[in-house]
Amino acid sequence: MNNQKLLEVQDLVIEFTTDKGKVRAVDGISFSLNNSETLGIVGESGCGKTVTALSLLKLIPSPPGKIIQGHILYQGKDIVSKSESAMRHFRGKEISMIFQEPMTSLNPVFTIGNQMIDVIRQHTHASKKEAKERAIKMLERIRIPNPERRIDEYPHQMSGGMRQRIMIAMALSCNPKILVADEPTTALDVTVQAQVMAQISELQKKFNTAVILVTHDLGVIAETCTNVLVMYCGKIVERADVSTLFESPRHPYTRGLLTSIPRIREKKLEKLPTIEGTVPDLLHLPVGCRYADRCERVRDHCRLEEPPLEKKDDKTEVACFYPY
Amino acid sequence: MDTFIYSLRKFFQSIPLIFGVTLISFVLMVYFGPDKTYDLLGKNPTQQQIEEVHHQLGYDQPFLTRYFIFFKEIITFDFGYSDSTGEKVSSIFARTIPVSLAVQLPILISGNIISIILALIAAYFRGKMIDKSVMFVAVIGMSVSYLIIVILFQIIFCSSYGLNIFPVQGWEVESFTSYLKYVTVPVLASVFLSIGYNTRFYRAVIVEEITKDHVRTARAFGTHPLKLLFKNILKNSLIPIMTRIIITLPFIIIAGSIVLESYFSIPGIGLVLYDAILTGDLPIIKAAVTWTAMIYVLSLILTDIMYTVVDPRVTLK
Repeated sequence: MNNQKLLEVQDLVIEFTTDKGKVRAVDGISFSLNNSETLGIVGESGCGKTVTALSLLKLIPSPPGKIIQGHILYQGKDIVSKSESAMRHFRGKEISMIFQEPMTSLNPVFTIGNQMIDVIRQHTHASKKEAKERAIKMLERIRIPNPERRIDEYPHQMSGGMRQRIMIAMALSCNPKILVADEPTTALDVTVQAQVMAQISELQKKFNTAVILVTHDLGVIAETCTNVLVMYCGKIVERADVSTLFESPRHPYTRGLLTSIPRIREKKLEKLPTIEGTVPDLLHLPVGCRYADRCERVRDHCRLEEPPLEKKDDKTEVACFYPY
Repeated sequence: MDTFIYSLRKFFQSIPLIFGVTLISFVLMVYFGPDKTYDLLGKNPTQQQIEEVHHQLGYDQPFLTRYFIFFKEIITFDFGYSDSTGEKVSSIFARTIPVSLAVQLPILISGNIISIILALIAAYFRGKMIDKSVMFVAVIGMSVSYLIIVILFQIIFCSSYGLNIFPVQGWEVESFTSYLKYVTVPVLASVFLSIGYNTRFYRAVIVEEITKDHVRTARAFGTHPLKLLFKNILKNSLIPIMTRIIITLPFIIIAGSIVLESYFSIPGIGLVLYDAILTGDLPIIKAAVTWTAMIYVLSLILTDIMYTVVDPRVTLK
C-alpha cells in the first residue's frame, strides 16, 4: 500500500472527433502522483493540459471527446471504465476540480451557501443545517470576512479573487485526496493570484491533499510545485522535479519557455527571446519530433523518428534525441 | 416596496401606450372596419332607414366626437351595449372569458410544462437519438396545420373510426366530469401544437445554458443530472421562458382561440370577438382592444417583477 501511487495515469490517449477528422489532444501520456504531492503541468494553449486535467474526472465533453486508450488508476482502481453514476460519487469527493474562470464558474442565480451545501450534501449524509455549518467553517478557513452573512450572498456580489477562493473552499469541502486546479489564477489580478495560490498551498497542507496544477505560468509552478510535467502537442516532453527543471532544463522546448520569461534583475535585453514558429496543427502532425520545426538543435534524425520519453539522469526524463 | 413603486411608475409610463394603441385601432375601426348598418337592415334598406341606423350607432357624428366618447369609455371601463344583441359588453365578457380560460389555461400550463421537460431532456442528450426524436415530433407539431390536427384528434377521440369516447364538440358544462368531457380533446390538440413551437424555443435556450461554465462546475462536484437540469440549468433559463409565457397571457385572456372555439363550438370570447370583427360590432371590439392593451402592459410589468424573483442580479430601479 505504501508504494502504491495515489494516482497513476498510464498511456492515456484522448481523441476528439472534428469535421476535419480525428484529433489526438492527448497522445499517450503517463504520469503518477503521490499523496500530498504538488504536480505542475505546463504548456502552451492547446497542448492538451486542460484535457488531461478534465479526463481525471471523466469530464471531457463526449461527444466529441473520447478516451480511446490507457488507464487512470486512482488508488489502484481504474476510473476509465467507471460508469457515469459511479463517477458522480467520485467527483468532488475523491478528486475535486477548480477552473480558470471564477467569474462564470459559479451558478449566478443561487447563493454561494446554496451551492456549497449542495456539494457537501451530495457526498455526505449531513442535514441542511450541518452542511451549512460546515460551509461556514470552510469560509472561515479561507478567511472570508463575515462568513455567516456572506454565505447568503450571490456570486455577483463578490470579487473574482473571492469567488476563486470560494471555489477552492467548495472543492475541498468534502476532503478530496486530489485537487485539480486548471489555471486557477489566469483570470485574476497579479496581487490576487499570489493570494489564491497561497490559499491553495495552505489548505493543501491542512487537508493533506495532493494538487495537480495546470498552468502556463512558470512562476506559479516554481513557487508551488514539487514535480513538473512539460507538455507539448499532447505529449509529455520533460518531467523533472521543480528545482532541476528550473536549474537545468534538458528539453529545448523547456529551455525556450524558461528563457522567454522576463527577468527583472538581469541585464536589460533588447528583445525578449521567444520560441520561433507556432505549434503544429494537431490534424497534420509531423512524423518525427513535434517540436522539430521550432527547435534550434534539430537534426535530420529528429524529423524521421519521434523521440520517446526517456530517463536521461536520476532526476529528469526527456523526450529528445539531443537534449541539453 | 421598491417593486410596488416601480410597478406604479411603469404603469403610468405605459398610459400613453394604451391610448396610442386604442387611437390607432379606432382609426382602423372607423375608416376601414365593416359597417354594421347592412348587417342590421338586410339587403334592401331605404336611404331613410340607413340614416336612422347611422344615427342610432353614432356613425353620423364627427370623428373627434366619436373618439371622445371612446376615450370616456376607456376611462370608465364602460363600453355600453353590443350593437348586435343589445347585451351589455361587460356581461358578454364576464360570460365568455371564463369559458375561454377554462380551455386555455390547461393548454398553457400543461403545454409549457411538457415542453420544458422535453426541452430539458432533448438539450441534455443533444445530438443523440432522444434529442432527434423529440425534435422530430416538435417539427411535426410546428408544421402541420392547426385544422388538420384538430380534425385528426376529433377522428381519433370522438368518432366511431377511433376511440369514440369524447363528444365531437359542444359545451354543456355542469360538473367537473362534464367539463373534462368537453375540454379534453381541444386541450390535447392544442397542447400537441404548442409543444412544437415551445420545445424548439426552450431547447435552444437550455442548450445555451447547458454549455456554461457553472454547469461544468456542478458536474465536477458530482451533481446528479436531474438536479443539474431541474435546478441549476432550469432556473438560469427561466428568464426567456417566463417572458414567452407571460407575454401570451393577454391574448389568451381576451382573444381565446378562434379556431379552437369554432371547431369545438366552445362559447368563449374568441368566437364572440370573431363575430364582432366580421359584423363591425364596435363596442365589443373597442372593449377587446382596450383590455388587451391594458393586460399587455400589466404582463410586461409582471415579467419585470418575475425577473427579480428569478435572477438576483436584476434590480428594479
